[in-house]
Parts: sequence; C-alpha cells; structure tokens
Amino acid sequence: MENQPKTFANRDALISHVRAISPSLAPDDSHVSDTVGGREAGVGLLEKIDPIAYGRSRNYLGGAVSYLSPYIRHGILSLNEVRNFALELGPKDGDIKPIEKFIQELAWRDFWQRVYQQNPSWIWNDVEDYKTGFAPEDYSDTLPEDVSTAQTDCAAINYFITTLQTTGYLHNHARMYLAAYIVHWRRVKWQAGARFFLAHLLDGDPASNNLSFQWVASTFSNKPYFFNLENLQKFSHPQAPCEEADNLALAGSYDDLAARLFPNGVSS
Amino acid sequence: MSTFIWLHEEALRATHPLFLPPANPEQSVFIWDDAYMDAMEYGLKRRVFLYETLLDLPVEIYAGDTLETLKKLAEATRASHIRTAATPNPRLGQIMDALSSTLTVERVADEAFVNLPEQDNLRRFFKYWNKAKRLAFQPNGGR
Repeated sequence: MENQPKTFANRDALISHVRAISPSLAPDDSHVSDTVGGREAGVGLLEKIDPIAYGRSRNYLGGAVSYLSPYIRHGILSLNEVRNFALELGPKDGDIKPIEKFIQELAWRDFWQRVYQQNPSWIWNDVEDYKTGFAPEDYSDTLPEDVSTAQTDCAAINYFITTLQTTGYLHNHARMYLAAYIVHWRRVKWQAGARFFLAHLLDGDPASNNLSFQWVASTFSNKPYFFNLENLQKFSHPQAPCEEADNLALAGSYDDLAARLFPNGVSS
Repeated sequence: MSTFIWLHEEALRATHPLFLPPANPEQSVFIWDDAYMDAMEYGLKRRVFLYETLLDLPVEIYAGDTLETLKKLAEATRASHIRTAATPNPRLGQIMDALSSTLTVERVADEAFVNLPEQDNLRRFFKYWNKAKRLAFQPNGGR
C-alpha cells in the first residue's frame, strides 16, 4: 500500500493529485473553491467572527456571516470551541440576547446530528407526506438541465446556482430560495436537489442539508417553504440580480404564488 | 497488542479527543476512498478541501477501499485495537461494525456542544432548543 504525498509544489499540483486518486469524478467537474482546507484557515476565520453583527444582519446576503461551516462540518473546528469563542465576544453583563442567534445556529448543527443519530433512514426518505397537495410521484426524479447549467428564466436563481458551483458556498437564505425553487417551482423531488447541493457545497452534510431540504419540501415540517420576489429583493440586493423583468416566475403576492405553486391547496 | 488511529472525514483535527492520552498509537491513518466519496456525492471542490485539511494532520494517507485497507494495515502492524471518532454517519458506522468482528473498535465521542442526554423522538428543533438553550450559553455546554 502506497502512502500518499503530503507536500506539493503548489495548489495546482495538489489538485492534479486529488484528480488522480479520484477516478469517480466526472471529467467536467472542474471547479475548485478559493476556500482553503485546514485547521489554520478555520482558526483564522474563527478569530474574525462578529456574533453580535451576525445576529443583526445574518439574513442578508451581505450580512456578517462567519463562513465557518465547512470547518465545522468536517470537525476541523468543534462546535464547542466555536461556542466558547463566541461567548467571549458577547456582552460582559451576561445578556445573551445579542449573541443568541449565532449560538442558536450552532445548536441547529447539534440538533441535526442528533436527529441523524436517531433516524439515519430519514436522510434520503420522506419523513412525512408532502403538504403541497401533491404526491411524491408528482415530482421529477432528476434535476432539469437548465437548473444544473444555470440557464433558468430567473436571473437571481441562476446567480445562486453559479455561486454554488464556483465557490462551494451559498448563504443560508440563498440555499432556502434555491431549494424552494427546485422543489416547488420546478416540482423536482427534494432528493435530487439535495444531491446537487451535496456535490457542490464544501459544508454539505447529509443531516443538515437533506433534512433542511425536507423542511423546505414540507416532508419534515408543517407546510412548504416558499418566497416571493419582494422577499428575495429585500435580502439579496445588491448581490443577486433582482429586477422583476429578469425574475418573472418569482414575482407576485404570497397568495398568488401559493395558488400557482400549490393549485390543489396546502394541507397541514 | 498495538493500537492505531483511523481518522475519518467527520473529525479532521488533531485536538479531537481521539488523539488525547492514553492514545499512544503505532500509526494514525486516513483512507482516501474514492467509492465512499462518490457515494457521499463529493465533487472536486470538496475533495480538494479535504486533502488540504489532511496535509497538516498527524496522519498517513492511504488510497483504497476503507474496510479492506484498514484490515490490511491492522494485519501489517499486528494491531488488535482501532481508535476512531464516533459519528452518526451510517456508512462509517457499517465499516466500524465490520471491523469489530476481528478487532476492538473504540469509538471516541467529540466534545459535546451541550451536556444533554439523548431525547426520544427528536423531530422539531424547538423541543430540543427548549432543553438545550440554558446549557448552550455556558462554556463547554455545562460540562
């Protein structure tokens, strides 16, 4: 058995080696993220977190998010050490409110891992029925080509797809928008969307990713998650192209969109 | 009677309790398993991120089927004991179960986020959060 190398002349040499020992990779899988692996990079990001600003701005694409998720996903940083570090940055009077959202997001990761431990079969199977007025067989098994190639008729959605494919990262709100678009606008099974995300996200985790997809789809929640263009504009401007003329399928009131997306009515 | 550490993709740091004393391993290894990564849906981006992470870790990297490679390494080093990180990942759990037929497999838990026992029928976040919240705001989760 041959010991694999741990020193390389440069990043390109490392990438070539990874390709050489990964024969299952598709030939057209060519993107590499600027996000670098390793403990040093993870600790560097940890030292820059601002949990108070995060609490105020996290829902906006330009918000003070931490980018720690790939490092937490693979145990490069422990949830415990990230929490301990964040506590040091909180108010000294013991008021937890300003850092509550940051700590709660760490808790979501702990929660999903606990669910995974208890019910590994939930990762790829519907936990509950869809509440969208549709049966599982009404959803396509595969991702449409215009989605995988970022050629849909919605510019904001194409921007999210391209960002996912080139950087290996998507802001949480953009993940929700793209997941809802795939499942509800395109009526594709959440499993196909989950596979697409796992193939590209550096932080993609079977539990967090797939159970969140099920939350969007309504197979692990009380109702389907969807959004309208007004909401997307509020949180995604100016990063994503949000003009109505370029995103007509997303435009409308929530009632209008519900009637369009779920013509059989939403159950609970 | 020797021990070796099998580091897998869910626990990629040298400060994981896996490496803490009394661990005094003969060898620490990571298995680069193409078929496993394909089953996990990992593309080039993720694989590069993982390989970069391995560079500074105190492990030797071997390419091959995880179970077969670990068995061969155990045989070559006459190891009877494997230490690895506990994980809910069932693919890794199955490999640990298969190794257990011939070796002692010790599954070492990571530092807990909150010192909270397992809750039955965990389904909705707020059922968990209502119990976890008080501990989540304490250093080391109330340990």
